Amino acid sequence: MAKWGMVIDLEKCTGCQACSTACQMENNRLPGENYQDVLYYTEGRQPTPTLKWFPRPCMHCEEPSCMHVCPTKATYKTEDGVVLIDWDKCIGCKYCMIACPYGVRFYTDEKPLIEPNIKQVFKGDGDLSWNPPYKGPQQDPKHGVGIQPNGVVSKCTFCYHKISKAPKGTADLDESNPELVEYVPACVRTCAPKARYFGDLDNPNSQVSRLISDKQGTRLLDHTGNKPQVYYLTGGGAAGSAVPGTRSNKKA
Amino acid sequence: MATQTQGSGAVSAVLMAGLAGLVVSLGIAFFNLMSGGHSAFNTGSDGVSWGLPVVNYVFFALTSTGLTLVASVAMTFGNKAWYPIAKRCVWLSLVTLVAGFASLALELGHPFRMLWAVPLNAQLLSPLNWMGIFYSVFLVLGILKFMRIHSGDWSSGTSKQIGLAALVTELLAGGMLGMAFGAMAMRPMWYGNLVPLYFILTAACTGGAFAVLVTCLTYGGTDKMPEPVRRLMQGSLPMAFAALLGLTILVIGYRTVIGLWSNADGLQVWDAIVASPWYWIEAALLIGAFFLLLQRKALAVAAVMVIGGFFIDRYDFVIGGQLLPLFKGSWVPDLIAYTPSTTEWMLTLLAFSIAFFGWALGEKMLNLGAAPQD
Repeated sequence: MAKWGMVIDLEKCTGCQACSTACQMENNRLPGENYQDVLYYTEGRQPTPTLKWFPRPCMHCEEPSCMHVCPTKATYKTEDGVVLIDWDKCIGCKYCMIACPYGVRFYTDEKPLIEPNIKQVFKGDGDLSWNPPYKGPQQDPKHGVGIQPNGVVSKCTFCYHKISKAPKGTADLDESNPELVEYVPACVRTCAPKARYFGDLDNPNSQVSRLISDKQGTRLLDHTGNKPQVYYLTGGGAAGSAVPGTRSNKKA
Repeated sequence: MATQTQGSGAVSAVLMAGLAGLVVSLGIAFFNLMSGGHSAFNTGSDGVSWGLPVVNYVFFALTSTGLTLVASVAMTFGNKAWYPIAKRCVWLSLVTLVAGFASLALELGHPFRMLWAVPLNAQLLSPLNWMGIFYSVFLVLGILKFMRIHSGDWSSGTSKQIGLAALVTELLAGGMLGMAFGAMAMRPMWYGNLVPLYFILTAACTGGAFAVLVTCLTYGGTDKMPEPVRRLMQGSLPMAFAALLGLTILVIGYRTVIGLWSNADGLQVWDAIVASPWYWIEAALLIGAFFLLLQRKALAVAAVMVIGGFFIDRYDFVIGGQLLPLFKGSWVPDLIAYTPSTTEWMLTLLAFSIAFFGWALGEKMLNLGAAPQD
């Protein structure tokens, strides 16, 4: 069984947000609820501030604190290493959102980020939060895939509806391979500068494993002990790309 | 020893006010929640996920724990002077827990799903799960204990065992509630292995405050209290309460100084908390109440001050732990803006209304001033 993981090369990432847009379309997300986001921030002060960006999906941690705090086991980890939510079990207590160090979980019953409220324009059927005019065919609440119902928490699934159908034993889901392209997560498939890689972390010959090994892949907020399965390549920070460890503290 | 409840006009007034509060808060809250769902709250995925309804829950659930502690002074630890308020405290511990549960239930996405999803899929690693179990078990034990003492069985072996079990489960529940926050290493404002102790300590303060307030309301002043009640209210109770409150004020002070002193990312929120006038209002209320209790004066006023002060404290704790963005690209340590919505305030009114209406109803119908005959 594979242990799926992602590698994001920050030296290649241009911050174009194509990954966010593809994710939004694939997973019926609304503004402010993107499973995959690129965070922009500035470092340094006038007169030499630098604009930086940082792509951030769910880290699908090896030791996910969101899973351990969920009182109903609605958040669970699959055998292939993906952290998912069973929407049929979620009671909407939001403890997982509190416990996630990365802020990548979403409760949809909130004030809209933009007006008009798209959920009111395209009202959902039954329990579903909205009815997007374009939507994928998949609706799999047991794996938290599809249109998010009201009253539950959602998150990035690594496009589980795609990767779970990949042939057994696949080392890398490479979008340049025509036989595998349909199984590749949307954000990886659409990445124009090819900054994203997706594959089996347990396979030492997979491209993701080799990249992590050869280019010293690092993990975000590693001190939390959650052990993300998303790794970042920084090139040693020489090109200004780096995994920020923390905010500047108040004495900075 | 028997203490008959006199039933002052204040009880009737509280009963009516509580009923009015229930109707108004339920009416507005249900209308807003039915028409807009949880978007009627000002909570958000990119900021404060647990808002004022959770503050209400924490406040009232811990008050329930505190009231059980106060009741246990007589019923478990054998200090007979505290019997005149014991039955009232047991009843109020049940009512305040219901008040907390009501606020929490309206905050959950699927409160009814919880009824089957938690027992069938219990996550034993989740503090929230254990907190729910212990508070639910207490609710059953508390009802059983109240039924025992209501029928006059104060001191049989079974009655005492139920009382002891209720006390233990309440302490475990309050501690687990503390652990639900204290275990969050990614949120330094909350993180710490002494948070359960802090919760139990502060729980005792709010429990004591509610016990004092409703006792004063019941009799309409210390001069109108029956002798056993008056002796308690002018004797050991305010002194014990003052000692507990003084200790808690010290702990709050130390927490504040540590928060201000430390550089750990996430503790910057203490700067904002201390800069807020609410922090100083809390301090004034608690310190003022401490001196009133020391002088055994204006006990009802002191109790209201403690309730107000600790409601601010719970708000600062629950909301403050979420005000710094965890990972939102905001590299400048900026704070998330959060102000509770009208619907959220209605849930606060609802919880207070349930607590006071429930207490007044019990005072009218259940002879809460009763004590053992011997």
